[in-house]
Amino acid sequence: MIKQFSVFLENSPGRLANLMGILEKNGIKVLAMGIAEAGNYGIVRMIVDNDEKAFDMMRKENMSVNQAEVLIIELERLANAVKTLSVVGVNIDYAYTMDCGRAVIKVNNEEKAIKALSEAGLKVYPTKC
Amino acid sequence: MITKSYIMPRSEILELQSRRLRSLVRNVYEGSPFYRKRLDDAGITPEDIRSKDDLRRIPFTTKSDLRDNYPLGMLSTPKSNLVRLHASSGTTGNPTVVAYTLRDIDNWAELNARCLEIAGATSADVVQVAYGYGLFTGGLGLHYGAEKLGAKVIPASTGSTKRQIKLMKDLGTTVICCTPSYGLFLAESAREEGLDPKEDLRLRIGVFGAEPWSEMTRKLLEEELVESAHDIYGMSELNGPGVAMECRAKKGLHIWEDHYIVEIIDPTTGEVLPPGEKGEMAVTTIMKEGMPLLRYRTRDMTILNEEVCECGLSHARIMRIIGRTDDMLKIRGICVFPSQIEEILASMENVTPHYQLVINRDGPMDKLMVRVEISEDFKTDRLTDIVDLQRRLENQLRDTLSINASVELLEPKTIPRSEGKAQRIVDMRKI
Repeated sequence: MIKQFSVFLENSPGRLANLMGILEKNGIKVLAMGIAEAGNYGIVRMIVDNDEKAFDMMRKENMSVNQAEVLIIELERLANAVKTLSVVGVNIDYAYTMDCGRAVIKVNNEEKAIKALSEAGLKVYPTKC
Repeated sequence: MITKSYIMPRSEILELQSRRLRSLVRNVYEGSPFYRKRLDDAGITPEDIRSKDDLRRIPFTTKSDLRDNYPLGMLSTPKSNLVRLHASSGTTGNPTVVAYTLRDIDNWAELNARCLEIAGATSADVVQVAYGYGLFTGGLGLHYGAEKLGAKVIPASTGSTKRQIKLMKDLGTTVICCTPSYGLFLAESAREEGLDPKEDLRLRIGVFGAEPWSEMTRKLLEEELVESAHDIYGMSELNGPGVAMECRAKKGLHIWEDHYIVEIIDPTTGEVLPPGEKGEMAVTTIMKEGMPLLRYRTRDMTILNEEVCECGLSHARIMRIIGRTDDMLKIRGICVFPSQIEEILASMENVTPHYQLVINRDGPMDKLMVRVEISEDFKTDRLTDIVDLQRRLENQLRDTLSINASVELLEPKTIPRSEGKAQRIVDMRKI
């Protein structure tokens, strides 16, 4: 299962730069990223190449960081994938894309989603990029 | 060593109070030109004050009386009898100077020793005093008290947090005395040093004062730093720390009534309120020699409870200070105390006790914004959870305070930590 980080950040200039700076300084590569904002704060969600190191770094910097399990699917057959999920009643809470032709999705029922996608012949990647 | 003379039945306390009040009024009338004039102007002679009930005939003494009579116009004894002078920070105008005779210093030490004792400290304890030493009374007050108890004192004073933690560890500190906000900072710092404060340090008792704090802060301090966290109350005008202290029952702070007479008054009208009602505390220092005060308006809001405590002491208890009349924020005409907001934050998960209140004026309307750090342990990947937390906080504030406050959630550790009193209020109203 693929792990995604989400970090609570204040919605002001420099906060994202600070986070990215910390990751870069520690040689951690960001493979995908999405931001959701509400007023003075937001959540940055991302997939990185070194989960353990990234987690340690962010905790050390006193960040409010969370890990969640997400699915990585093929971007090219996205229409087919979301249709398949809707048929079995799986909801996609949020999604964002990766630059290697893949999409990150967070679903409300992973087991059911993987089963439905596999049966439809759609890829659920075991690795990130 | 301290004596156990403070354990006495309530009737004896009341008798002592009346006797000591009579002699105090005589002393200030003879020794203090300020009070002689005050009493003359009010048409009162020392003989008129027979018992505690006559006290309410005497006019109040206020902070401005102290400022107006700067530096030593409030003395009731010749300057030659003084052995110590302390002064408060005079951020606006003159500082407040307080003066002690040798007997005052000794009594003050005795009261602080009692405070430590009712919290459970003994002569076997190692007491680290991390209140400021110097003009501020916190450090020296507890220092003398701990020595009087026969404990071992580490006069660490404030700051140098790394060294504080090292001393605690290496010297086996068992009692820490500091502000509650510094207590939390010590716990955080110890963790950053790779220590688990509850495992690697041996802090049995925390004596936390000099700023108002809440049950949530107690819970945090007891989870993160000390076995038992106790509130201590005092102010330099009344000697300094050691005026009142939480015993092990933690149901209010015992005020040493053989040294202080407490009245709870309506802060607006000055009328004395019956026990159990919330009001401003006015204190008469019946044992002080150097600079005793009659009915001193502390500007601290509390409730007095005269029932005998389950710990057995019959010295009345004040409720944890609800706020200061000068911290009292008037927002759209409604009185709000920062401590009330702290209690609300305490009751909520996923936020910390680190907060700031920003008051602004939008046209004719006051606006209160509560800025609070979210907890590092708040785990979510969903924005809705965070928005929900913000809404719940705003609803809670509205329900409890009857005002609309907006909440701004902040990243952990973004509000500056202070080593003294926390700066919690930013008033940007231009009046």
